[in-house]
Amino acid sequence: MVEALIVSNLLLWALVLVLAAVVFALVRQIGVLHERVAPAGALVGRSGPAVGTTAPRFDLTDWTGLPRQIGGPRPDGKSTLLAFVSPTCPVCKTLLPVLESVAHAERRRVRLVLASDGPRAEHEAFVAEQRLADRVYVLSTELGLAYQVGKLPYAVLIDGDGVIRARGLVNTREHLESLFEAMERGVGSVQEYLTREPGNRRVA
Amino acid sequence: MTAAGVDPIVGAALRTALALLFGWAAAHKLRDMAAFRAAVSAYALVPAGALSVVSVLAVSTEIGVAVTLAWPSSGSLSALWAALLLLIYAVAVAVNLLRGRAHIDCGCVGAAGRQPITWALVVRNVVLSSVALVTGLPASPRSLVWIDAVTLVAAVAALALLYAAADGVLAHAPQLARLVADRHTDDHVEGAHG
Repeated sequence: MVEALIVSNLLLWALVLVLAAVVFALVRQIGVLHERVAPAGALVGRSGPAVGTTAPRFDLTDWTGLPRQIGGPRPDGKSTLLAFVSPTCPVCKTLLPVLESVAHAERRRVRLVLASDGPRAEHEAFVAEQRLADRVYVLSTELGLAYQVGKLPYAVLIDGDGVIRARGLVNTREHLESLFEAMERGVGSVQEYLTREPGNRRVA
Repeated sequence: MTAAGVDPIVGAALRTALALLFGWAAAHKLRDMAAFRAAVSAYALVPAGALSVVSVLAVSTEIGVAVTLAWPSSGSLSALWAALLLLIYAVAVAVNLLRGRAHIDCGCVGAAGRQPITWALVVRNVVLSSVALVTGLPASPRSLVWIDAVTLVAAVAALALLYAAADGVLAHAPQLARLVADRHTDDHVEGAHG
């Protein structure tokens, strides 16, 4: 009797472990599926100025004290990649080099503006650490409010005529590139691309 | 488990599993202390000047708890520390949820790491905290036999796998909610065009 119980107990443990391993594997697979199903492009919130509308114009001074115009037509016709970051957002730190490399690759037609808000003192260490003084770094609460930035890092692509061409939450290089893709194709977001043509859903 | 206390193997299995959890959490934080400090700062509960101290204190407490929990004769003090630390994390998450700052990074180990904070995390920490308290109860002595070793190893392995799975389910919940929400909006948009 005791021997039978021991055998049964060992067998049950073996089954429990196999079961737990299978559950764990399934959860991992769900995670991968979520990543695939989720739009690879930047996630566009439902609030804030719509793509295709004129960007609100802001005349701000950057970190080094130089005046910077954000929004409105630009004489050089360059687009503006407006990226909202913060010293307290870990993803922002990993995204900054990506922003710089994308801005460098697109430097003929795009200028990069990094934006954040809060008291200047909170940004001193961040600016020094990330060497942002060489970049255009503006602090403005109004700017973030105007675009209704909730989650960071958030990017807005404004064309040379001051029209918002793409915007969204950007966590990776792919997200960032999707903004440029959206501008070239004239589509506001991956979500819009997916809903515009039912066939696109399968392609994406 | 009897009224006199926790069965020694149940207690040992839970302690070992908790020790693994704390060890894993500490290792995860040590690998990127800057990210952990940023996560602590995002909770907006600690003055900027004390950020480094608090971050280091949290990680060293985690290491201390992990080591002492794994030590069989450490008594109930490490269990109390573990429960306290988990409760502090739960309170920190709850305070920020009540403030409406649900978007901040959890700073947790595992799949929930780069997820917004949720009430589920608070519940998880409270449950873990009570488990830690249970392991601090006096064990009811009994003679151990070879099958207890099997039970211990298998139970710890099963707990670890199931914890990781539950953590994953928890982490995917916001993504799933978004998918369900998107589905409704898509239907709406297509309906409007048709």
